[in-house]
Amino acid sequence: MEKLIVLCLKFIILCGTVDAVFEDQVGKFDWRQQYVGKVRFSHFDTHMQSSKKVLLATENNVFAAINTRTGELFWRHVDKAGQEGSIDAFLQHGQDAVLVVGDGRVLRSWDINIGGLNWEIVLDSGSFQSACLVGQQDNVKHVAVLKKTAISLHYLSNGHQKWIENLPESDTVDYQVVYSGGNGEVYALGVVPHSHITIVVYSVEDGEVVKQISVEAPWLSDIQASCAVVDQGILTCVDSATVSLYMLDLHVQSQMTQIPLQAMLVSFATTGEKTVAAVMSPKNKTASTLNLFSAETGRRLLDTTLIFNMDPYGGKPEKLHVQAFLKKDDSVGYRVMVQTEDHTLTFIQQPGRVIWTREEALSDVVTMEMVDLPLTGTQAELEGEFGKKADGLFSMVLKRLSSQFILLQAWVAHLWKLFYDARQPRSQVKNDVTIENLSRDEFNLQKMMVMVTASGKLFGIDSKTGSILWRHYLDDIPSNAAFKLIVQRTTAHFPHPPQCTLLIKDKDTGLATLHVFNPIFGKKSHVTPPTMTQPILQSIILPLMDQDYAKVLLLVDDQYKVSAFPSTKNVLQQLQDMASSIYFFLVDSDQGRLSGYRLRTDLSTELIWEVVVPTEVQRIVSVKGKRPNEHVHSQGRVMGDRSVLYKYLNPNLLAVVTESTDLHQERSFIGITLIDGVTGRIFHNAVQRKARGPVHVVHSENWVVYEYWNTKSRRNEFSVIELYEGMELYNSTVFSSLDRPHAPQVLQQSYIFPSSISAMEATLTEKGITSRHLLIGLPSGGILSLPKMFLDPRRPEIVSEQIREENLILYAPELPIRTEWFINYNQSVSGVRGIYTAPSGLESTCLVVAYGLDIYQTRVYPSKQFDVLKDDYDYMLISSVLFALFFATMISKRLAEVKLLNRAWR
Amino acid sequence: MTSPGGQGGGGALSTRGGGGARRMKWALELSAGNTRSRGDRQGGQGDVVYPIGYSEKPVPDTSIQETDKNLVEKRCWDVALGPLKQIPMNLFIMYMSGNTISIFPIMMVCMMAWRPIQALMSMSATFKLLESSSQQWLQGLVYLVGNLLGSALAIYKCQSMGLLPTHSSDWLAFIEPPQRMEIMGGGMVL
Repeated sequence: MEKLIVLCLKFIILCGTVDAVFEDQVGKFDWRQQYVGKVRFSHFDTHMQSSKKVLLATENNVFAAINTRTGELFWRHVDKAGQEGSIDAFLQHGQDAVLVVGDGRVLRSWDINIGGLNWEIVLDSGSFQSACLVGQQDNVKHVAVLKKTAISLHYLSNGHQKWIENLPESDTVDYQVVYSGGNGEVYALGVVPHSHITIVVYSVEDGEVVKQISVEAPWLSDIQASCAVVDQGILTCVDSATVSLYMLDLHVQSQMTQIPLQAMLVSFATTGEKTVAAVMSPKNKTASTLNLFSAETGRRLLDTTLIFNMDPYGGKPEKLHVQAFLKKDDSVGYRVMVQTEDHTLTFIQQPGRVIWTREEALSDVVTMEMVDLPLTGTQAELEGEFGKKADGLFSMVLKRLSSQFILLQAWVAHLWKLFYDARQPRSQVKNDVTIENLSRDEFNLQKMMVMVTASGKLFGIDSKTGSILWRHYLDDIPSNAAFKLIVQRTTAHFPHPPQCTLLIKDKDTGLATLHVFNPIFGKKSHVTPPTMTQPILQSIILPLMDQDYAKVLLLVDDQYKVSAFPSTKNVLQQLQDMASSIYFFLVDSDQGRLSGYRLRTDLSTELIWEVVVPTEVQRIVSVKGKRPNEHVHSQGRVMGDRSVLYKYLNPNLLAVVTESTDLHQERSFIGITLIDGVTGRIFHNAVQRKARGPVHVVHSENWVVYEYWNTKSRRNEFSVIELYEGMELYNSTVFSSLDRPHAPQVLQQSYIFPSSISAMEATLTEKGITSRHLLIGLPSGGILSLPKMFLDPRRPEIVSEQIREENLILYAPELPIRTEWFINYNQSVSGVRGIYTAPSGLESTCLVVAYGLDIYQTRVYPSKQFDVLKDDYDYMLISSVLFALFFATMISKRLAEVKLLNRAWR
Repeated sequence: MTSPGGQGGGGALSTRGGGGARRMKWALELSAGNTRSRGDRQGGQGDVVYPIGYSEKPVPDTSIQETDKNLVEKRCWDVALGPLKQIPMNLFIMYMSGNTISIFPIMMVCMMAWRPIQALMSMSATFKLLESSSQQWLQGLVYLVGNLLGSALAIYKCQSMGLLPTHSSDWLAFIEPPQRMEIMGGGMVL
């Protein structure tokens, strides 16, 4: 029996052995979007008139060039994550872009045309403050770098240091800005907050102090935040308290002049001889106006008004990046790149035409969900028919007929459209996806990706094309927020709209808010979420539903009291009935405490178990349960002698990962504990000595896979734990953690992996029949699809007949990385932080989204496409052969009849 | 078809009629008594006048008329023992085809299994065939046992090829996932 199935499977596999992507399939099922992140510095490339580049240095340690016509990337460099690669300063001269990276650790020069590195030098240690280009008579030769206590000068051509000088009174004066006006002098500007500005002037030649002066500026606390040096040494400062502009000529050093303004945002730009200030001021609630002011005189320039319409679902403007240019009539024209609070970049031309927009918030996705698209109107009509109450036979028949007629109509319209499209040339047929014509496809392969970004902007992205269908900016997001996205109602409950809830918790205060919205349209739901006065610890989604089919969300506050949302009478009644079987656990990694609670009927809770991990030895890094939508088709594994080893499928099992606080390479260790979330029973505890995190864990079915760094052998290792119940099932109909007397058998094996990894997830399919693969995001930008078969603790060391029967691979310590396993071929995905998998309507297909700096969406087929005909399936050949055979039988039948008759007559 | 019958009739006539009749080129007998005298071959339909050369029964029927009772018995035993005789042959085929699963052994096994089943299904037809025998019931039993043995052999072959759902692994796919008794959630403190 089993062999027969295997035989059939072999046939299937033989029929479709294509694993990798064909050239013509590139981009057919997958898409990638590249982002740069929140912009910190920008420069428009002006050294060539025809240039259309804007150079951006961002908070995500990205240095990139963007096409100003289209908003697409020319090139991009991603530096190390964190403080080590952060870009502190960005200067541009001609073709050279000079970056100070890693808090003044490295000075780098890039060629902006091709994005190649010119040179790189390591600077002396010291907290970085500012940098500027130093030149004489338009001939820029040096770069000045200002640090907390010293100023140094480097050659622009090769980065070598010319001189370094200590700054006077550096303990009281906070030196923040360095400037050079092209007259052989370098100005270091320091501020004593709310008192005065100190200016120290150095000679470019040998670094000698030429002069040292101070200017009163009692309103000023931070030069970098509010001032800029423009034009020929004019220090221009904006005082936001009095809304005025201060000017100081550094060469003359007079008093500061004050110009009152009415503005929100100011940005300076220079073109040719002229320096202008672009000032944005609010016009009304939805639009702002931009005007150009001459930096010398402070007068408004004529015909420079530009209107910026604010996106109602976006944030307020935050920063302006102005590209000023001289028109033919010598007046100043400009384009402006507006950066808003939600990290969106909008490039606008006069008088307000948006050329392109980039949603840079998507470079920092925190969490996401995939939601099924709704059925079309006609499908919904048909569904609705079954949902409605029966009101008489006759009306039911009528209703059925009318809906059938509508279906027929839709089908005819579809046919007509097909026919019409076929006549058009391919390029003219547009398949625009808009929010109106969204509908589920046959195999539910197209879904809505709901993405939550760190900036508080929510996106709805079509998974097929990657186009953003809706966006919504939550402007009251605290800076230190934790997000949890929960799907409360799916699209399956027509006519109730789908409903998602975003739990936003301020980590500082502990208070949380709920944002309830429709994941398909992005609109805020009319359901009013409860206001929570107590700090919230965790939320639990229950499989219970209220009368409107919304799943119940339980919120646990810091008094361990539980509140339900929605909290109708029906829900409370259900909760009371079910309370004795509702358990939850909380993990406090600061106190090293795992605790399990049970719900009482009055919605209070009682502590039923507690495990304490001593925080001075180790700390809890992560806790992984199983995904609630995971299905396991096979309850066991078939052994070589055709008996069954039953899997231990405990839905309440948790994998708790701990790391040692001692990071010394001889003493560090990581631990993994398998614990039951209901009873607190510990099933297995493994400690990997001489190992260090970060630990990536995947917990699914009856296995846990984790990856760590082995400090002794200096390599990455994978370890897999599998749990089996044995040859007999204890109870095959129900699973209760409270009634499982036998501990599971635990098998474990470890392997060497040749690369470090940045994210890991397992594939997920509708029914769980398809074999599982692990999707591993590598720092190199590849996403590897590693068959789970390789991570199997039953892999033997010696071959035997039974082993061969079981199709186990012989144990080999190294896990291979095969190039055909990369699911994203040459589309590297930078800085993968998470991988999300979702089942599709096809059992063979799993939808994958990798997010990080880039977003990459594709489909994977872990067991090949056994339920779909291939793309290049030869319908013509097969159908023509079929028809030919059919006609051949008809004809030969007729001939045979004739022949028989003839023989009978003979 | 009538012409050979006529000639045969002519042949019979010549053997009985003697030399006198032989000299005639042909002769026509119109009286009914003459036909009777031709022998018991056409005796039953003496009162009907048949055209010349017509023979009501085909010629080979004469042999059946002459069969021995023993011959019938023998024939019936042949039928009854047929399935049993096939068993050694089947055993040989089984041995040759081996236990691997591929298209030819599967076809052989199917044939081996199907033939006895088919035979058992058409049991009544076989019984009708054996009706004339005196040992009808014994022969029927032997026939049945032979077929049952054949199908048992086929089942044994299936068993040795691993095609029978006799192990727990064969029923694995039908085990439903157990129902969850407890609802559990939670996680790290946000």
